[in-house]
Amino acid sequence: MIEELFQIERDAYRDSIVHRIDARVKIVIAFAAIIALVAVPYSDRDMVYTVGAFFFVFFCLLWCCTNLSFGVYLRRIWAIVPLWGIIILFQVFFRNKYYTDYHVVMSLPLGISIYAESIEFATILFVKFLVCISFIILLSSTTKMHEMLEGGARMGMPAEFALALGMMIRYLFVFGYMYRKVNETLATKCFDVFDRHLPYRYRLRQLGYTIGTMFIRSYEQGERVYTSMLCRGYGRESYLFFERKPLRAGEWAFLSVSLLFIITIPFAVWLTSFRLV
Amino acid sequence: MHIPDAFIPIWQGAIYWIIALVFIALALKWARNEMNEEKLPLVAVLAAGIFALQSFNLPVSMGTSGHLVGGALAAIILGSPFAAIFILTLVLIVQAVLFGDGGITTLGTNIINMGVIGGFVGFYTFRGLMGVSKNMPVSVFFAAWLACLIPALCCAVEMFVAGTFPLMEGLVAMGIYHAIIGVIEGFVTVAAVYLIATARPDLIDSGVVAPAGA
Repeated sequence: MIEELFQIERDAYRDSIVHRIDARVKIVIAFAAIIALVAVPYSDRDMVYTVGAFFFVFFCLLWCCTNLSFGVYLRRIWAIVPLWGIIILFQVFFRNKYYTDYHVVMSLPLGISIYAESIEFATILFVKFLVCISFIILLSSTTKMHEMLEGGARMGMPAEFALALGMMIRYLFVFGYMYRKVNETLATKCFDVFDRHLPYRYRLRQLGYTIGTMFIRSYEQGERVYTSMLCRGYGRESYLFFERKPLRAGEWAFLSVSLLFIITIPFAVWLTSFRLV
Repeated sequence: MHIPDAFIPIWQGAIYWIIALVFIALALKWARNEMNEEKLPLVAVLAAGIFALQSFNLPVSMGTSGHLVGGALAAIILGSPFAAIFILTLVLIVQAVLFGDGGITTLGTNIINMGVIGGFVGFYTFRGLMGVSKNMPVSVFFAAWLACLIPALCCAVEMFVAGTFPLMEGLVAMGIYHAIIGVIEGFVTVAAVYLIATARPDLIDSGVVAPAGA
Protein backbone atom coordinates (compact mmCIF):
# COMPACT_ATOMS: atom_id res chain seq x y z
CA MET A 1 0.00 0.00 0.00
CA ILE A 2 2.75 2.41 0.92
CA GLU A 3 4.36 2.00 -2.51
CA GLU A 4 1.13 3.32 -4.03
CA LEU A 5 1.31 6.46 -1.91
CA PHE A 6 3.77 8.22 -4.19
CA GLN A 7 2.01 7.20 -7.40
CA ILE A 8 -1.39 8.34 -6.11
CA GLU A 9 0.01 11.73 -5.13
CA ARG A 10 1.75 12.07 -8.53
CA ASP A 11 -1.61 11.38 -10.22
CA ALA A 12 -3.34 13.89 -7.92
CA TYR A 13 -0.81 16.59 -8.87
CA ARG A 14 -1.75 16.42 -12.54
CA ASP A 15 -4.04 19.02 -14.03
CA SER A 16 -7.49 18.55 -15.49
CA ILE A 17 -10.98 19.92 -15.15
CA VAL A 18 -11.74 17.24 -12.52
CA HIS A 19 -8.50 17.93 -10.64
CA ARG A 20 -9.44 21.62 -10.38
CA ILE A 21 -12.86 20.97 -8.82
CA ASP A 22 -13.04 21.75 -5.10
CA ALA A 23 -12.29 18.70 -2.92
CA ARG A 24 -15.61 19.07 -1.06
CA VAL A 25 -17.55 18.58 -4.29
CA LYS A 26 -15.63 15.44 -5.18
CA ILE A 27 -15.91 14.03 -1.65
CA VAL A 28 -19.68 14.57 -1.57
CA ILE A 29 -20.21 13.08 -5.03
CA ALA A 30 -18.03 10.02 -4.37
CA PHE A 31 -19.63 9.33 -0.98
CA ALA A 32 -23.14 9.91 -2.34
CA ALA A 33 -22.58 7.47 -5.21
CA ILE A 34 -21.22 4.82 -2.84
CA ILE A 35 -24.06 5.23 -0.33
CA ALA A 36 -26.69 5.21 -3.09
CA LEU A 37 -25.36 2.00 -4.65
CA VAL A 38 -24.84 0.21 -1.33
CA ALA A 39 -28.42 1.17 -0.40
CA VAL A 40 -29.82 -0.78 -3.38
CA PRO A 41 -31.06 -4.05 -1.82
CA TYR A 42 -29.27 -7.32 -2.62
CA SER A 43 -32.65 -8.88 -3.31
CA ASP A 44 -33.25 -6.89 -6.54
CA ARG A 45 -30.55 -8.20 -8.86
CA ASP A 46 -31.63 -6.30 -11.96
CA MET A 47 -31.86 -3.03 -10.06
CA VAL A 48 -28.29 -3.48 -8.78
CA TYR A 49 -27.05 -4.15 -12.31
CA THR A 50 -28.95 -1.21 -13.78
CA VAL A 51 -27.99 1.35 -11.15
CA GLY A 52 -24.43 -0.03 -11.13
CA ALA A 53 -24.19 0.35 -14.92
CA PHE A 54 -25.48 3.96 -14.83
CA PHE A 55 -23.04 4.85 -12.04
CA PHE A 56 -20.15 3.15 -13.82
CA VAL A 57 -20.86 5.11 -17.01
CA PHE A 58 -20.96 8.29 -14.88
CA PHE A 59 -17.60 7.31 -13.38
CA CYS A 60 -16.13 6.60 -16.84
CA LEU A 61 -17.27 10.01 -18.11
CA LEU A 62 -15.59 11.71 -15.16
CA TRP A 63 -12.45 9.58 -15.55
CA CYS A 64 -12.21 10.59 -19.23
CA CYS A 65 -12.02 14.21 -18.05
CA THR A 66 -9.10 13.55 -15.69
CA ASN A 67 -6.32 13.20 -18.30
CA LEU A 68 -5.42 9.94 -16.57
CA SER A 69 -5.22 6.77 -18.63
CA PHE A 70 -7.46 3.79 -17.95
CA GLY A 71 -4.22 1.90 -17.31
CA VAL A 72 -3.85 3.92 -14.09
CA TYR A 73 -7.36 2.92 -13.07
CA LEU A 74 -6.79 -0.73 -13.92
CA ARG A 75 -3.49 -0.84 -12.01
CA ARG A 76 -5.19 0.53 -8.91
CA ILE A 77 -8.13 -1.83 -9.30
CA TRP A 78 -5.69 -4.72 -9.61
CA ALA A 79 -4.06 -3.69 -6.33
CA ILE A 80 -7.38 -3.67 -4.46
CA VAL A 81 -9.64 -6.29 -5.99
CA PRO A 82 -7.75 -9.63 -5.64
CA LEU A 83 -8.15 -10.10 -1.85
CA TRP A 84 -11.87 -9.34 -1.70
CA GLY A 85 -12.29 -10.81 -5.16
CA ILE A 86 -11.39 -14.19 -3.65
CA ILE A 87 -14.00 -13.72 -0.91
CA ILE A 88 -16.57 -12.77 -3.56
CA LEU A 89 -15.55 -15.85 -5.55
CA PHE A 90 -16.07 -18.08 -2.50
CA GLN A 91 -19.70 -16.92 -2.37
CA VAL A 92 -20.57 -19.33 -5.18
CA PHE A 93 -20.10 -22.26 -2.75
CA PHE A 94 -22.32 -20.89 0.03
CA ARG A 95 -26.02 -20.41 0.58
CA ASN A 96 -27.08 -17.12 2.11
CA LYS A 97 -30.16 -15.63 3.70
CA TYR A 98 -31.20 -13.63 0.61
CA TYR A 99 -32.55 -16.64 -1.29
CA THR A 100 -34.90 -19.41 -0.23
CA ASP A 101 -34.57 -21.85 -3.14
CA TYR A 102 -31.21 -23.00 -4.42
CA HIS A 103 -30.47 -24.80 -7.67
CA VAL A 104 -27.25 -26.76 -8.00
CA VAL A 105 -25.25 -25.85 -11.10
CA MET A 106 -22.30 -28.11 -10.39
CA SER A 107 -21.55 -30.75 -7.76
CA LEU A 108 -17.99 -31.10 -6.57
CA PRO A 109 -16.30 -33.73 -4.36
CA LEU A 110 -16.65 -33.53 -0.54
CA GLY A 111 -20.27 -32.46 -0.82
CA ILE A 112 -19.42 -29.02 -2.20
CA SER A 113 -21.88 -27.53 -4.69
CA ILE A 114 -22.04 -24.41 -6.79
CA TYR A 115 -25.50 -22.81 -6.80
CA ALA A 116 -27.06 -20.60 -9.47
CA GLU A 117 -28.38 -18.21 -6.81
CA SER A 118 -24.96 -18.00 -5.13
CA ILE A 119 -23.33 -17.10 -8.45
CA GLU A 120 -25.97 -14.38 -8.84
CA PHE A 121 -25.27 -13.06 -5.34
CA ALA A 122 -21.51 -13.07 -5.98
CA THR A 123 -22.08 -11.06 -9.15
CA ILE A 124 -24.24 -8.55 -7.26
CA LEU A 125 -21.50 -8.13 -4.64
CA PHE A 126 -18.87 -7.74 -7.34
CA VAL A 127 -20.82 -5.05 -9.22
CA LYS A 128 -21.40 -3.04 -6.03
CA PHE A 129 -17.79 -3.48 -4.87
CA LEU A 130 -16.30 -2.51 -8.25
CA VAL A 131 -18.35 0.65 -8.67
CA CYS A 132 -17.73 1.79 -5.06
CA ILE A 133 -13.98 1.24 -5.41
CA SER A 134 -14.01 3.09 -8.75
CA PHE A 135 -15.38 6.25 -7.13
CA ILE A 136 -12.74 6.06 -4.38
CA ILE A 137 -10.03 5.71 -7.03
CA LEU A 138 -11.46 8.72 -8.88
CA LEU A 139 -11.51 10.79 -5.69
CA SER A 140 -7.99 9.93 -4.55
CA SER A 141 -6.41 10.13 -8.02
CA THR A 142 -7.69 13.64 -8.64
CA THR A 143 -7.48 15.23 -5.16
CA LYS A 144 -4.27 16.09 -3.35
CA MET A 145 -4.12 14.83 0.23
CA HIS A 146 -3.92 18.29 1.77
CA GLU A 147 -6.90 19.42 -0.34
CA MET A 148 -8.85 16.45 0.92
CA LEU A 149 -7.94 17.40 4.49
CA GLU A 150 -8.95 21.04 3.89
CA GLY A 151 -12.20 19.86 2.33
CA GLY A 152 -12.92 17.62 5.32
CA ALA A 153 -12.12 20.41 7.79
CA ARG A 154 -14.37 22.87 5.93
CA MET A 155 -17.19 20.31 6.07
CA GLY A 156 -16.98 20.10 9.87
CA MET A 157 -14.34 17.52 10.71
CA PRO A 158 -13.36 18.02 14.41
CA ALA A 159 -10.31 20.26 14.82
CA GLU A 160 -8.40 17.59 16.77
CA PHE A 161 -8.79 15.16 13.90
CA ALA A 162 -7.88 17.77 11.30
CA LEU A 163 -4.71 18.75 13.17
CA ALA A 164 -3.57 15.17 13.81
CA LEU A 165 -4.55 14.09 10.29
CA GLY A 166 -2.61 16.99 8.79
CA MET A 167 0.51 15.97 10.67
CA MET A 168 -0.08 12.31 9.93
CA ILE A 169 -0.23 13.00 6.19
CA ARG A 170 3.15 14.75 6.36
CA TYR A 171 4.63 11.79 8.22
CA LEU A 172 3.19 9.33 5.73
CA PHE A 173 5.66 10.53 3.14
CA VAL A 174 8.51 10.47 5.67
CA PHE A 175 7.53 6.89 6.44
CA GLY A 176 7.24 6.14 2.75
CA TYR A 177 10.86 7.16 2.19
CA MET A 178 11.94 5.39 5.38
CA TYR A 179 10.06 2.25 4.33
CA ARG A 180 11.89 2.27 1.01
CA LYS A 181 15.25 2.78 2.73
CA VAL A 182 14.57 -0.02 5.23
CA ASN A 183 13.59 -2.35 2.40
CA GLU A 184 16.70 -1.41 0.43
CA THR A 185 18.86 -1.98 3.51
CA LEU A 186 17.30 -5.38 4.13
CA ALA A 187 17.76 -6.26 0.46
CA THR A 188 21.41 -5.15 0.61
CA LYS A 189 21.90 -7.60 3.48
CA CYS A 190 20.21 -10.27 1.32
CA PHE A 191 17.50 -10.50 3.98
CA ASP A 192 14.25 -11.83 2.63
CA VAL A 193 11.41 -12.23 5.11
CA PHE A 194 9.98 -15.07 2.98
CA ASP A 195 13.33 -16.93 2.77
CA ARG A 196 12.70 -20.35 4.34
CA HIS A 197 16.43 -20.99 4.71
CA LEU A 198 16.51 -18.43 7.52
CA PRO A 199 15.18 -19.44 10.96
CA TYR A 200 11.62 -18.20 11.46
CA ARG A 201 12.36 -16.60 14.84
CA TYR A 202 15.31 -14.75 13.35
CA ARG A 203 13.09 -13.33 10.58
CA LEU A 204 10.45 -12.19 13.08
CA ARG A 205 13.08 -10.65 15.38
CA GLN A 206 14.53 -8.69 12.47
CA LEU A 207 11.06 -7.45 11.52
CA GLY A 208 10.31 -6.47 15.13
CA TYR A 209 13.54 -4.51 15.44
CA THR A 210 12.95 -2.89 12.07
CA ILE A 211 9.49 -1.78 13.14
CA GLY A 212 10.75 -0.55 16.53
CA THR A 213 13.54 1.36 14.81
CA MET A 214 11.02 2.97 12.46
CA PHE A 215 8.97 4.12 15.45
CA ILE A 216 11.95 5.60 17.25
CA ARG A 217 13.31 7.31 14.16
CA SER A 218 9.90 8.69 13.30
CA TYR A 219 9.32 9.93 16.85
CA GLU A 220 12.66 11.69 16.76
CA GLN A 221 11.55 13.26 13.49
CA GLY A 222 8.33 14.23 15.31
CA GLU A 223 10.35 15.84 18.10
CA ARG A 224 12.28 17.92 15.59
CA VAL A 225 9.01 19.03 13.98
CA TYR A 226 7.56 19.77 17.42
CA THR A 227 10.54 21.96 18.32
CA SER A 228 10.17 23.82 15.03
CA MET A 229 6.46 24.29 15.73
CA LEU A 230 7.20 25.71 19.19
CA CYS A 231 9.61 28.17 17.59
CA ARG A 232 6.80 29.35 15.32
CA GLY A 233 4.42 29.99 18.18
CA TYR A 234 2.56 26.69 18.35
CA GLY A 235 0.59 26.09 21.55
CA ARG A 236 -2.02 23.74 23.04
CA GLU A 237 -4.89 25.83 21.74
CA SER A 238 -3.49 26.00 18.19
CA TYR A 239 -5.55 24.61 15.36
CA LEU A 240 -5.03 24.52 11.62
CA PHE A 241 -6.53 27.59 10.01
CA PHE A 242 -8.56 27.08 6.86
CA GLU A 243 -9.83 30.24 5.26
CA ARG A 244 -13.41 30.32 4.04
CA LYS A 245 -13.64 29.26 0.43
CA PRO A 246 -17.11 29.43 -1.13
CA LEU A 247 -17.79 27.09 -4.02
CA ARG A 248 -17.84 28.69 -7.47
CA ALA A 249 -21.02 28.76 -9.54
CA GLY A 250 -19.70 26.01 -11.84
CA GLU A 251 -18.91 23.80 -8.87
CA TRP A 252 -22.38 24.32 -7.40
CA ALA A 253 -23.89 23.46 -10.79
CA PHE A 254 -21.75 20.32 -11.16
CA LEU A 255 -22.51 19.25 -7.60
CA SER A 256 -26.26 19.80 -8.03
CA VAL A 257 -26.48 17.95 -11.36
CA SER A 258 -24.36 15.06 -10.06
CA LEU A 259 -26.37 14.69 -6.86
CA LEU A 260 -29.60 14.90 -8.81
CA PHE A 261 -28.34 12.10 -11.06
CA ILE A 262 -27.12 9.96 -8.15
CA ILE A 263 -30.40 10.32 -6.24
CA THR A 264 -32.75 10.15 -9.23
CA ILE A 265 -31.36 7.06 -10.94
CA PRO A 266 -32.00 4.55 -8.10
CA PHE A 267 -35.45 6.03 -7.41
CA ALA A 268 -36.36 6.05 -11.10
CA VAL A 269 -35.22 2.45 -11.55
CA TRP A 270 -37.09 1.43 -8.39
CA LEU A 271 -40.33 3.19 -9.32
CA THR A 272 -40.38 2.18 -12.98
CA SER A 273 -39.87 -1.25 -14.43
CA PHE A 274 -36.90 -0.08 -16.45
CA ARG A 275 -34.05 -2.58 -16.24
CA LEU A 276 -30.98 -2.96 -18.41
CA VAL A 277 -30.91 -6.74 -17.88
CA MET B 1 -10.10 -7.41 8.17
CA HIS B 2 -10.85 -4.14 6.34
CA ILE B 3 -14.45 -4.81 5.26
CA PRO B 4 -15.14 -2.98 1.97
CA ASP B 5 -18.35 -1.31 0.81
CA ALA B 6 -21.15 -3.62 -0.33
CA PHE B 7 -20.34 -6.40 2.17
CA ILE B 8 -22.58 -4.90 4.88
CA PRO B 9 -26.16 -3.68 4.10
CA ILE B 10 -26.55 0.07 4.41
CA TRP B 11 -28.82 -0.06 7.50
CA GLN B 12 -26.41 -2.30 9.38
CA GLY B 13 -23.53 -0.06 8.33
CA ALA B 14 -25.47 2.91 9.73
CA ILE B 15 -25.91 1.15 13.09
CA TYR B 16 -22.19 0.36 13.28
CA TRP B 17 -21.45 3.98 12.33
CA ILE B 18 -23.61 5.26 15.21
CA ILE B 19 -21.85 2.96 17.69
CA ALA B 20 -18.46 3.96 16.29
CA LEU B 21 -19.37 7.66 16.56
CA VAL B 22 -20.01 7.25 20.29
CA PHE B 23 -16.50 5.84 20.75
CA ILE B 24 -15.00 8.42 18.39
CA ALA B 25 -16.59 11.14 20.56
CA LEU B 26 -15.02 9.53 23.65
CA ALA B 27 -11.68 9.33 21.83
CA LEU B 28 -12.01 13.02 20.95
CA LYS B 29 -12.66 13.75 24.63
CA TRP B 30 -9.48 11.81 25.45
CA ALA B 31 -7.61 13.83 22.82
CA ARG B 32 -8.86 17.14 24.27
CA ASN B 33 -7.84 16.17 27.81
CA GLU B 34 -4.75 14.08 27.25
CA MET B 35 -3.26 15.08 23.91
CA ASN B 36 -1.04 17.87 25.11
CA GLU B 37 1.50 19.76 23.05
CA GLU B 38 4.13 17.06 23.41
CA LYS B 39 1.81 14.17 22.71
CA LEU B 40 0.33 15.47 19.46
CA PRO B 41 3.42 14.76 17.33
CA LEU B 42 3.64 11.29 18.90
CA VAL B 43 -0.01 10.59 18.05
CA ALA B 44 0.52 11.73 14.46
CA VAL B 45 3.74 9.73 14.18
CA LEU B 46 2.08 6.64 15.65
CA ALA B 47 -0.81 6.98 13.19
CA ALA B 48 1.58 7.26 10.24
CA GLY B 49 3.70 4.49 11.78
CA ILE B 50 0.78 2.09 12.12
CA PHE B 51 -0.16 2.89 8.54
CA ALA B 52 3.38 1.97 7.52
CA LEU B 53 3.39 -1.13 9.75
CA GLN B 54 0.26 -2.38 8.03
CA SER B 55 2.29 -2.24 4.80
CA PHE B 56 4.80 -4.81 6.06
CA ASN B 57 3.62 -8.19 4.83
CA LEU B 58 4.34 -10.94 7.32
CA PRO B 59 4.71 -14.54 6.14
CA VAL B 60 1.94 -16.80 7.50
CA SER B 61 2.07 -20.15 5.69
CA MET B 62 1.52 -21.76 2.29
CA GLY B 63 2.61 -18.55 0.55
CA THR B 64 -0.02 -16.40 2.29
CA SER B 65 0.77 -13.27 4.24
CA GLY B 66 -0.91 -10.85 6.60
CA HIS B 67 -0.18 -7.52 8.23
CA LEU B 68 -0.15 -6.06 11.70
CA VAL B 69 -3.20 -4.26 13.08
CA GLY B 70 -1.37 -2.12 15.63
CA GLY B 71 -4.27 -1.41 18.02
CA ALA B 72 -2.53 -3.01 21.01
CA LEU B 73 0.74 -1.28 20.19
CA ALA B 74 -0.89 2.16 20.14
CA ALA B 75 -2.89 1.51 23.34
CA ILE B 76 0.15 0.19 25.22
CA ILE B 77 2.50 2.99 24.16
CA LEU B 78 -0.01 5.79 24.81
CA GLY B 79 -1.53 4.16 27.88
CA SER B 80 -5.20 4.33 26.87
CA PRO B 81 -7.62 2.33 24.68
CA PHE B 82 -9.08 5.64 23.51
CA ALA B 83 -5.68 6.52 22.05
CA ALA B 84 -5.94 3.37 19.94
CA ILE B 85 -9.45 4.40 18.79
CA PHE B 86 -8.24 7.90 17.92
CA ILE B 87 -5.20 6.66 16.02
CA LEU B 88 -6.92 3.76 14.25
CA THR B 89 -9.73 6.11 13.18
CA LEU B 90 -7.17 8.35 11.47
CA VAL B 91 -5.45 5.37 9.86
CA LEU B 92 -8.70 3.80 8.65
CA ILE B 93 -9.99 7.09 7.21
CA VAL B 94 -6.82 7.51 5.16
CA GLN B 95 -6.86 3.87 4.05
CA ALA B 96 -10.52 4.00 3.03
CA VAL B 97 -10.50 7.37 1.28
CA LEU B 98 -7.11 7.20 -0.42
CA PHE B 99 -6.50 3.52 -1.03
CA GLY B 100 -9.94 1.93 -1.08
CA ASP B 101 -8.77 -0.42 1.68
CA GLY B 102 -11.99 -0.71 3.68
CA GLY B 103 -15.20 1.04 2.70
CA ILE B 104 -16.97 4.31 3.46
CA THR B 105 -20.28 2.76 4.56
CA THR B 106 -18.31 0.10 6.46
CA LEU B 107 -15.83 2.51 8.04
CA GLY B 108 -17.82 2.48 11.29
CA THR B 109 -17.62 -1.33 11.36
CA ASN B 110 -13.87 -1.29 10.75
CA ILE B 111 -13.32 1.36 13.45
CA ILE B 112 -15.31 -0.77 15.92
CA ASN B 113 -13.31 -3.91 15.04
CA MET B 114 -9.77 -2.63 14.88
CA GLY B 115 -9.94 0.55 16.95
CA VAL B 116 -12.53 -0.09 19.67
CA ILE B 117 -12.31 -3.87 20.13
CA GLY B 118 -8.61 -4.07 19.25
CA GLY B 119 -7.75 -1.14 21.50
CA PHE B 120 -9.81 -2.24 24.52
CA VAL B 121 -8.85 -5.93 24.26
CA GLY B 122 -5.18 -5.06 23.77
CA PHE B 123 -4.98 -2.49 26.56
CA TYR B 124 -6.92 -4.34 29.26
CA THR B 125 -5.33 -7.72 28.47
CA PHE B 126 -1.95 -6.04 28.84
CA ARG B 127 -2.95 -4.30 32.09
CA GLY B 128 -4.46 -7.47 33.56
CA LEU B 129 -1.54 -9.71 32.66
CA MET B 130 1.01 -7.14 33.83
CA GLY B 131 -0.79 -6.97 37.16
CA VAL B 132 -0.73 -10.74 37.55
CA SER B 133 2.56 -11.79 35.97
CA LYS B 134 4.68 -8.59 35.99
CA ASN B 135 6.17 -9.99 32.82
CA MET B 136 6.28 -7.41 30.04
CA PRO B 137 7.00 -9.66 27.03
CA VAL B 138 4.29 -12.20 27.98
CA SER B 139 1.73 -9.47 28.68
CA VAL B 140 2.43 -7.59 25.45
CA PHE B 141 2.44 -10.81 23.43
CA PHE B 142 -0.98 -12.00 24.62
CA ALA B 143 -2.43 -8.48 24.42
CA ALA B 144 -1.34 -8.15 20.79
CA TRP B 145 -2.43 -11.71 19.94
CA LEU B 146 -5.93 -11.22 21.37
CA ALA B 147 -6.18 -7.73 19.85
CA CYS B 148 -5.64 -9.36 16.46
CA LEU B 149 -7.80 -12.47 16.96
CA ILE B 150 -10.91 -11.03 18.66
CA PRO B 151 -11.55 -8.27 16.06
CA ALA B 152 -11.17 -10.87 13.29
CA LEU B 153 -13.82 -13.09 14.94
CA CYS B 154 -16.09 -10.06 15.34
CA CYS B 155 -15.56 -9.31 11.65
CA ALA B 156 -16.70 -12.87 10.81
CA VAL B 157 -19.82 -12.43 12.98
CA GLU B 158 -20.64 -9.08 11.36
CA MET B 159 -20.35 -10.57 7.89
CA PHE B 160 -22.64 -13.43 8.98
CA VAL B 161 -25.20 -10.94 10.30
CA ALA B 162 -24.88 -9.08 7.00
CA GLY B 163 -25.53 -12.35 5.16
CA THR B 164 -22.36 -12.14 3.11
CA PHE B 165 -20.44 -15.06 4.67
CA PRO B 166 -21.57 -18.15 6.61
CA LEU B 167 -20.84 -18.10 10.35
CA MET B 168 -18.92 -21.33 10.93
CA GLU B 169 -16.79 -21.06 7.79
CA GLY B 170 -16.10 -17.40 8.58
CA LEU B 171 -15.18 -18.07 12.21
CA VAL B 172 -12.94 -21.00 11.28
CA ALA B 173 -11.22 -19.21 8.38
CA MET B 174 -10.79 -15.86 10.13
CA GLY B 175 -10.02 -17.52 13.48
CA ILE B 176 -7.26 -19.82 12.19
CA TYR B 177 -5.77 -17.21 9.88
CA HIS B 178 -5.69 -14.44 12.47
CA ALA B 179 -4.60 -16.76 15.28
CA ILE B 180 -1.46 -17.34 13.19
CA ILE B 181 -1.09 -13.68 12.23
CA GLY B 182 -1.76 -12.83 15.88
CA VAL B 183 1.26 -14.89 16.95
CA ILE B 184 3.41 -12.96 14.50
CA GLU B 185 1.81 -9.69 15.61
CA GLY B 186 2.53 -10.70 19.22
CA PHE B 187 6.22 -11.37 18.57
CA VAL B 188 6.68 -8.25 16.50
CA THR B 189 4.81 -6.06 19.04
CA VAL B 190 6.94 -7.46 21.88
CA ALA B 191 10.10 -6.71 19.89
CA ALA B 192 8.89 -3.20 19.03
CA VAL B 193 7.75 -2.35 22.59
CA TYR B 194 10.94 -3.90 24.04
CA LEU B 195 13.11 -1.83 21.71
CA ILE B 196 11.21 1.40 22.43
CA ALA B 197 11.19 0.73 26.21
CA THR B 198 14.93 0.13 26.07
CA ALA B 199 15.93 3.00 23.80
CA ARG B 200 13.29 5.63 24.67
CA PRO B 201 11.42 4.67 27.87
CA ASP B 202 10.09 8.24 28.13
CA LEU B 203 7.80 7.59 25.14
CA ILE B 204 5.74 4.89 26.87
CA ASP B 205 2.83 5.96 29.06
CA SER B 206 1.64 2.59 30.36
CA GLY B 207 4.51 1.92 32.75
CA VAL B 208 6.30 -0.65 30.60
CA VAL B 209 9.97 -0.99 31.48
CA ALA B 210 12.51 -3.10 29.68
CA PRO B 211 13.62 -6.18 31.63
CA ALA B 212 16.80 -5.73 33.63
CA GLY B 213 19.99 -6.25 31.70
CA ALA B 214 18.58 -4.90 28.48
